[in-house]
Amino acid sequence: MKNRLRMLRAERSWSQADLADRLGVSRQSINAIETGRFDPSLPLAFKLAKLFHLPIESIFSD
Amino acid sequence: MLLCNKNLTPLQRRSMQRMGAALVLTVVTNLSTPSLPNPFRDLFPGLSQLTPSYVHSSVLLVGLLSALSVLPVLLAVWVAARYLAAEPDEFIRALVVKALLWGFAVTMAGNAIAGVFMNIYSRPFPLSVLNADLFFASGLIAFRILQRSYR
Repeated sequence: MKNRLRMLRAERSWSQADLADRLGVSRQSINAIETGRFDPSLPLAFKLAKLFHLPIESIFSD
Repeated sequence: MLLCNKNLTPLQRRSMQRMGAALVLTVVTNLSTPSLPNPFRDLFPGLSQLTPSYVHSSVLLVGLLSALSVLPVLLAVWVAARYLAAEPDEFIRALVVKALLWGFAVTMAGNAIAGVFMNIYSRPFPLSVLNADLFFASGLIAFRILQRSYR
């Protein structure tokens, strides 16, 4: 699954650690999601969507 | 569950302490059974003087002792289950499950090798009483390696 997480994070000048703190997860989780090696659960995807004020489908795609 | 890491969360630190207690309990219950091969007894022969003999013991006592050896295993499984249930980070949870699977694989492989040695030399092999320790040590190492791959 592809995602725009790295781009969205860069737009806000957030580091991986910043985003991890906001989501309450580890920095490694963000790294794994950004590189496509780990697909987040639905609750975490919703958290991401809420944080970026975007619908889930605009962050994640097939 | 990182070993020797200052950045442990309180949950991870608590789980590590409980797991350490389970491993110590494994060694203690192993020492309570003198007929089992135990590398600690090979290293410290004086320990044999401290362990009781059960040659003339009742079936009930022997049964009780064998039941005692289950305690550390159950404790360790309970600690792992509690940790997985309480860990809020789903990615870390996934890594821990992967690491536990690796630990299981290493333990099974070690036992297969020990089984061959036991058949060839017709004597017990110390690895058979250190299954729990091997499982968690290899699981811990696997977790560290897996985590490093996501840096």
